[in-house]
This record gives sequence, structure tokens and C-alpha cells, in this order.
Amino acid sequence: MAHDPTHLAATISHFQKIGIIGIPPLAVIRAANEYGLLIHDLDEPLVREDLETASPFLPRVYCAILRTAVVNALHLELDAIYVDTGPGKCDCALHTATILAEALPIPVICTKNTDTAAFGVPLCQARLPLIARMQTITTGVKSAAAYQNTPPPCKPCAGFWGVPPRDFSILELFPEATHIYGWARCMENKTPADHALESVFNPEVPTVFFAQSFCAKTALARYLAKKHPHALYLDVDVHTTSSARAKVQAFLELSGVRP
Amino acid sequence: MILGDFGTSYCKFLDLDAPGAGPTIIATKELPGETRVNLATGHNGKRFADRYVNELIALARGGETMIREKEYVLLDCGSRDIKFIKYKNGKLADMGWNAECGASMGFTIELLERYYELDYASLLVPEQTFSVTCGVLGMSDIFDTVIAGVPVAEAVARFVKGIALNAYRFAGSPARLYLSGGLCDNPLFVGSFPCQVTPLGRFVLLRGLEAEARQPRPPGLV
Repeated sequence: MAHDPTHLAATISHFQKIGIIGIPPLAVIRAANEYGLLIHDLDEPLVREDLETASPFLPRVYCAILRTAVVNALHLELDAIYVDTGPGKCDCALHTATILAEALPIPVICTKNTDTAAFGVPLCQARLPLIARMQTITTGVKSAAAYQNTPPPCKPCAGFWGVPPRDFSILELFPEATHIYGWARCMENKTPADHALESVFNPEVPTVFFAQSFCAKTALARYLAKKHPHALYLDVDVHTTSSARAKVQAFLELSGVRP
Repeated sequence: MILGDFGTSYCKFLDLDAPGAGPTIIATKELPGETRVNLATGHNGKRFADRYVNELIALARGGETMIREKEYVLLDCGSRDIKFIKYKNGKLADMGWNAECGASMGFTIELLERYYELDYASLLVPEQTFSVTCGVLGMSDIFDTVIAGVPVAEAVARFVKGIALNAYRFAGSPARLYLSGGLCDNPLFVGSFPCQVTPLGRFVLLRGLEAEARQPRPPGLV
């Protein structure tokens, strides 16, 4: 298994450029950092290719993030891909790994991230533009280093619960004092399989519970939104539609949240 | 100050500087391209206005103006989409906007009336219904039912009832609801809801714009 340090080092030292899907264990990222590997986070849109190029491999009605990962994997020159298929990811990623392993001439290595060492969630609680914070959190999965110069926490006026969206433009609508919850918080904490942390929300602030359409997390998002006294459940597929933007904008304004 | 609700099929206007003047309405396809208003809503509105208010906010503000209760559900059924606002204890409790699966329901109802030369005021609410999730998909049910020997008027009435039930479920199946939009004038549609319905007419969003226009705005905002 990739967690064995000797085996992991022996394997990863042969690579120069790897892709990751989900969040592989810290041991993988640490080894990649030590050997100076270039890491591509395949969950983010990295290439200017039509999402339709994933359709021979995945159904069109499927998680847009995994469809994006497939497009990236098909068009980037990589030496290997590490896919987290443990409790911090989903069955969809497992099946995607199976398909990619057959379609690509490079190793597609499945990992199970059960890391429990908490790195903290300073960005989730800071007063800074939400897009910038989410970008830093997603970039952070490529580094095993501890956080330095963290911003102070702020009093929240709103909440965003969920995964980093495929289309970050939905985040423009939130004020800077929006706290981040859900799997994005687990990402910053580097404990993606921490389901208890993922389920945390703040009932004191209006919160948007977001999930990618066709993702298993839609169930959790909707369930938690029903428990929250002042929530909006929202799922978005590839791009943020005008109605999705309008819902968030109206929800925040009608809840008394000022930009 | 001129307010405009630019809908898919109809545009509604109100001139706040003309005391006593009521709203006016024009078919969207007949709207002059050079039309300009001060404050707009509706999916088509950004092109015609200095300032835009999104439809859910306009609906909510209209409801706050027209409804004197603290707990209610206000459902707007337009040509192209359906949306609702739910208030509890005087505060926003839930909301929704179905622009995809609710597509073209109102538009299809009007289209069918003209095509089949029906008068919805003369149609009774049918016992049966279709499971309609979209205006376009629901058309197939009408054609299949007519082929099976059911009169056109009955088939269309089932379709209309199916749309009303879909909208009702979308709004959370409330015991009573306030209805907004042009379909308030369609007695078959209003009568097809399995709950108490209070029609507010097609100018609720304009009333919401009026409330927005009268709100003081922070300096620097246009």
C-alpha cells in the first residue's frame, strides 16, 4: 500500500509529475514534496478542453469534478496519478480510478486517506475574500508543510458549507466574514475522512449548504440544511447558473447579510 | 421613476411619478428595443435598466408589501420558471427557484390554449392528472392521452393540473399559499391546487420593485 514509507519512496522517486484526485494521504504528499515532484490537482479545471472529452469514459450525468479530473488526466503529461478512494472521497472516484487505469499508460494508484493529525482551519475562520481563501485551501493539498502566518479568526456573518465548487464564481457573492464548513474545512485540516468535522455547522449564521450535482454529498448537504435553522440548500453542476446565483444573492440579502 | 418586470412572455411597467397610474403590460415580443427603465427585474431585465433587482428578492419584497401575515408561502408561476418564498415568524425560512426542471410550464399552458382554441375558464378541474415535471416533457402525455381517445380539453386539463401539483410540491406542499403571476387569471390552474390558494395577480414583482425603490440606499450605490 502507498502508506509504507519505503515502498512509497521507492515508487514515487521514479516520478517527476503526478496528478492527484481527492486528497491522498499526507505521506504521499510529503514524499512528493521531498522528491520535488510537480503535483497537479486534477479536481480543478487545468486544461482548456471541453468537458465532453470525458464522456467516452464517464456518463454525462456524473460529478463534474470527476469529469474534470478525467479531462485533465487525458490531456496532461503525467507520470502517475494518485487517487484517494477511501472514506474521505467516494465510490465515484474509485470507479473513475478503475476506468483511468485502463485508459492511461501510466500507473493509477489508489490510496485510502485516514489521516487524523489536525492542521487547523485558520482560513475557514478568517475575514478575507472567500474565493481567495478557497483557492489557498485547494492549493494547500499539494503541500505537507504546516501552516505559517495564519490569519486571525473573525466573527462570522454567514456560512458556506460544502466542497470547493467546480465553478468558484458562486463564492463571489459571499461577504469576507463568511466561515467555511463541510469538506472544504476537512481539506484545510488535512483530515478529509473526518465525517464529524464535515458535519459541523454554525446555527447562529445563515448558511448555504452546497454540493456538486450528482455527488453523494448532496444527501448530507440537504440533511444538514434541514437541521439548520436558517439555511439554503444548493447544488450546482458544471457552471453556476443565473438562478443559482440569484438564489444565493437573495438568500443572503433577505437574511440581512450585507456584502 | 419607471419600474419594469421583464418576463419571458410579458413585460409589466409602473411609473412611480404618475400618481394614480396603474401598471401597464405588453407582450415581450412587442417590446421596443430602445425601452429603458430605472429599476428592473425579470430574467430579461438587465438589458433595459440602470439598476437590477433579482427576481427572488423582488418576489419577497412584493410579498412583504402585499401579505399581512408573518407565516406564509408565496409561489410565483411564470412563463419560464417557478419560484417561491417561505416566511416564518416574519423571517425568510425557505426559498426556491426552479428554472430548469420547471421549464416553460406557464408558456406551454398558454400555447396549448391558443393551439387547441380552448377557454380555461370553461374547463373543470379533472379527477385525473399527469405527472408533469416540465412543460416540454408534459406535451407527450397530452398527445398520448388524445391518441388513447380522451378529448383534447380533458387531456389539456390534466396537464394543467399536473403542472399545478408540481408547483405545489416544489413550494413544500403548504396547506395554503399565495400565488403570483399571470396564471392567477387561469381558474383551471388555480383550482387545480390541492390547498387553499390566494391569487395576488401578476404585479407582485412590480410591487416588490416599488418597495425596493422606496428603500433608502447607501451613498455611492447606483
